[in-house]
Amino acid sequence: MLKYIIKRLLLSALILIGVSFLVYVLIRCMPTDYAEQKIASMNQNQAVSEEMKEQIYESYGLNDGIIDGYMNWLGKLCKFDLGNRFSNNRPVVSEIKDHMGISFIIAFIATVFEFMIAIPLGITAATHQYSIRDYVVTVFVMIGISLPSFFFGQVLQSIAPALGLPTAGFGNASTSNTGFAKLIEYVPYLLLPIFLVVVLSIGGRMRMTRTNMLEVMNSDYIRTARAKGLSERKVIYKHAFRNTLIPLVTSLAGLLPTLFSGAIITEQIFGLPGIGNIALAATLSGDIPFIMGYNMFLALLSILGVLFSDIMYAIVDPRVKLS
Amino acid sequence: MENTDNKDLSSEAMEEALDKNVRLMSPGRMVMRRFFRSKLSIVGLVMIVALFVFCWIGPLIYTQWEAGEMDTTTDRMVYKTYEQTYTDGDETHTFYTVTERPVMLNNLAPPDSNHPLGTDNNGYDNLARLMQGGKISLVISFLSVFMITIFGVVFGGLAGYFGGIVDNVIMRVCDILTCLPGFPILLIVGTALMAWEEKGYLSGQYRIYFLMGFLTLISWAGTARLVRGQILTLREQEYMVAAEAMGYSTGRKIFKHLVPNVMPQLIVSMTLSLGSMILYEASLSFLGLGAPEKYAAWGTMINSGAKPELFLDYMNIWVPPGLCIITAVLGFNFIGDGLRDALDPKARR
Repeated sequence: MLKYIIKRLLLSALILIGVSFLVYVLIRCMPTDYAEQKIASMNQNQAVSEEMKEQIYESYGLNDGIIDGYMNWLGKLCKFDLGNRFSNNRPVVSEIKDHMGISFIIAFIATVFEFMIAIPLGITAATHQYSIRDYVVTVFVMIGISLPSFFFGQVLQSIAPALGLPTAGFGNASTSNTGFAKLIEYVPYLLLPIFLVVVLSIGGRMRMTRTNMLEVMNSDYIRTARAKGLSERKVIYKHAFRNTLIPLVTSLAGLLPTLFSGAIITEQIFGLPGIGNIALAATLSGDIPFIMGYNMFLALLSILGVLFSDIMYAIVDPRVKLS
Repeated sequence: MENTDNKDLSSEAMEEALDKNVRLMSPGRMVMRRFFRSKLSIVGLVMIVALFVFCWIGPLIYTQWEAGEMDTTTDRMVYKTYEQTYTDGDETHTFYTVTERPVMLNNLAPPDSNHPLGTDNNGYDNLARLMQGGKISLVISFLSVFMITIFGVVFGGLAGYFGGIVDNVIMRVCDILTCLPGFPILLIVGTALMAWEEKGYLSGQYRIYFLMGFLTLISWAGTARLVRGQILTLREQEYMVAAEAMGYSTGRKIFKHLVPNVMPQLIVSMTLSLGSMILYEASLSFLGLGAPEKYAAWGTMINSGAKPELFLDYMNIWVPPGLCIITAVLGFNFIGDGLRDALDPKARR
């Protein structure tokens, strides 16, 4: 097991290098980089000499070739330095750390609700397969899957005033509450985004529970359990549901990226200062260190997510052997 | 098989009776029958057909306005008031001047008989744009799913069939591609394309096609994995040994014997990804990276109605395209679900 994990981790490092190179090349292919935009904005006030241009490029490390620039970035990474953001000159790591909190809170609460709602729905749909109940649940969650987040976000925003909730933004700077009262103040700003995320994600989880539950309900040991006269309740919750837990628990580990990566569009619509919204702004302005840092962070999360769910699978299901 | 109650017949007679009563069905027909038995798949099919009719036949009937045509005919007037105050000794006089000027652009018109869905901020007719946008979205989603499938089948097929070093290389590339964060990468490429347009290398009309082309380049890994996995199990089957013994060429073995057997799973995943492609395209357009405003796409239309000062009062701009997106994605998801059940060899219904 330990040998397997080490092997996987080494392979992951190689994959991450591949990903970082691809992302870096793509970013540098953007014809307007941050320095060029800066020069353009300076040009409005005064003429910029060639030397100054040169200097600006130098200060952002953009006058090297793509390969040199990449090697430079990689070398810094080995010292755990992701560089500073162009726009406000703060270290990328602390920028990511500062804005991750709000994205994590939204994703975490949404995930808890998602599991609490989707699993019972999946079980009823499976135990009443092809009944009215199954169809109604299926249609509703399918509509949830099909909703474009930006459209549904806008619908929520247009009913927000009627519910007495703020349409966008985060926190009210004019109040002077501190501590717990300050936290309470943030709650109304988070309700709609969390609701949006829950509605969009219930579908997948419910379908997964339903499929697994159906598979288990058709197996021989369930027939045996029924044949020896157990109550239907016991058959479903004690015998069938426990085995559907295997894929559910495994997918819990795969949730790692969704918890931390932030939802770009949701945060953009509701004007939340989460990591997704910051990443969108950074991408549009060509802020290379932050884009690199954010994308590598996402790639690392998704690699770890896959690795954890494989390990989890071996832990939960004793029949599975890692090799 | 309705003769279950004829238990006392001799086996010969029973065979004869069975022969008369059993209708032979090809696998294709069985799949069709199972597919159409599910109400949801029929609903999905109807939704998609309706959208196609709306987008392609619609413009032939609704010819009053074209998607890129601004409505400049209006008798609305703009009134502007100017206020002027001056003091004469201890008396203050205020003069009001009111000017009347015709509006040059019939924008933000409410729905009426001329514009069934009103016009948007630029004076474009919403209904005509809705049809035009649907064409773009549907064509793009079909094209990109088609491309992803081709890449996936070719690379997955090669990896699964040859194994060894070919398999290793292709699978490592797949690993890298699955770890690429898709949406942020598309944002980067989208901004790059926009900057290229400013320099005049590209026309904005085709930006979304380039973007989705790039998306296909980075998202074939899932399909390739699926095809490879199938081929690895199929390779060991007896009929493949037979094909080997017959001395068929490699191409024939892969594309004539292996790929058709992967098709069922492939069709299901293709249908389901049609919906997600529409969502991708719409999200990109919503962020302003997709089709520019003149060439409407559904996402662009929602974006143009999303301005904070507009979206509460002018729901006729952004609600219809949103409903269209939901219809399309839901339709594809229903069909995909129905196909999955119909193509499942273990299914009993």
